[in-house]
Amino acid sequence: MAIKAPATAHPRTAGRASARRRLAARAGLLALCALGFTTDADAASNKVRISSLSDVTFGTLSDLSSDAAQSQSLCLYSDTATNGYNVTATGGGPGGSFQLTSGLSSLAYEVQWSNASGRNSGVQLSPNVPLTGQTSAASHQVCSNGPATSASLIVLLRSASLSSATAGTYSGTLTLLVGAE
Amino acid sequence: MDRLRSGGLVGVIKMTFARLSCLPLAGLAAAFAGSPVQAAPTQGTLGTTSTGSVSISASVPNRIQLTGLMDVAFTNQDPSVAAANAQSVCVWSNTSTKGYYVTASGSGTGSAFTLANGSATVPYSVEWAGSSAQTSGTALTAATALHGLTSTATNPTCSSGPASSASLVVRISTANLQAMQAATTYTGTLTLVVAPE
Repeated sequence: MAIKAPATAHPRTAGRASARRRLAARAGLLALCALGFTTDADAASNKVRISSLSDVTFGTLSDLSSDAAQSQSLCLYSDTATNGYNVTATGGGPGGSFQLTSGLSSLAYEVQWSNASGRNSGVQLSPNVPLTGQTSAASHQVCSNGPATSASLIVLLRSASLSSATAGTYSGTLTLLVGAE
Repeated sequence: MDRLRSGGLVGVIKMTFARLSCLPLAGLAAAFAGSPVQAAPTQGTLGTTSTGSVSISASVPNRIQLTGLMDVAFTNQDPSVAAANAQSVCVWSNTSTKGYYVTASGSGTGSAFTLANGSATVPYSVEWAGSSAQTSGTALTAATALHGLTSTATNPTCSSGPASSASLVVRISTANLQAMQAATTYTGTLTLVVAPE
């Protein structure tokens, strides 16, 4: 039986090997990054936040022959590399449709979105369908500094719906889901 | 001749909603079903997704509209034959029952249903039916409401759905025709007011 003593590297040789390992590790990390892998720090930064939302109150609509619209500016923050986001709206009607109800009666409404604040019109949203390709100008997650708002939400009641609606008080909930992109 | 009348106004009710925060779409339904309700709006939180919600409320007041009216002309009327003119009109009401009432007023003294030529007058009668294409209906009394009518109209001007929803009938009896002077034109105005109920 042959017995080999543990190899003992020369200190200078061992130092060169260690340096080679560190270099290889760095190269590997660089390669991973080049291939699109993300680190924990990168993943944690893909965050969005929607805030400064207000209830939409039309009040009593005396003129049923005209469209009624309510718009509001809100804070939409995204900290992705492009400040990009998508938004999905879901109403309280069947299948997430944009409907208000008053007892058994319903009243359809429309939703528009603009990625700029202070707008009275925007891109028409369909229930449960993401509107992609939006970007935010917000520099703070609740817009407490920088722009005070960064997007607009517009809710419309069309005259065609109003003039065929049964008299009553209608209400419903609109849910907005935003995702980073 | 259109008449639009508004009814009582109703207040705005704040609605309740389920609180959602940073939920994926697949979780929305479950969140709505299981979360306690509270007042909207809900502000989103910071995350890879963020969810906010708002309540929307609107009140639609009682409204009614009368359209599709046409002038009534009796020309060269044979005095031995009673004159009658029936027309279909559109009455739309947005109350839950689509109910309404109608009040007719003539241009005669005390809103009487009379036509006039100078000091000469001739009475006529007015009938109303709550459905279209009728040649007779309930006799109206001047300035007195006929209640309990309902409309089948689904559009304020009947531009969609039923093209008309009520009937107006104007008559001049033979006795009154025979009291009129020949080759003389008698005119008057009939005003109809409809109101939701």
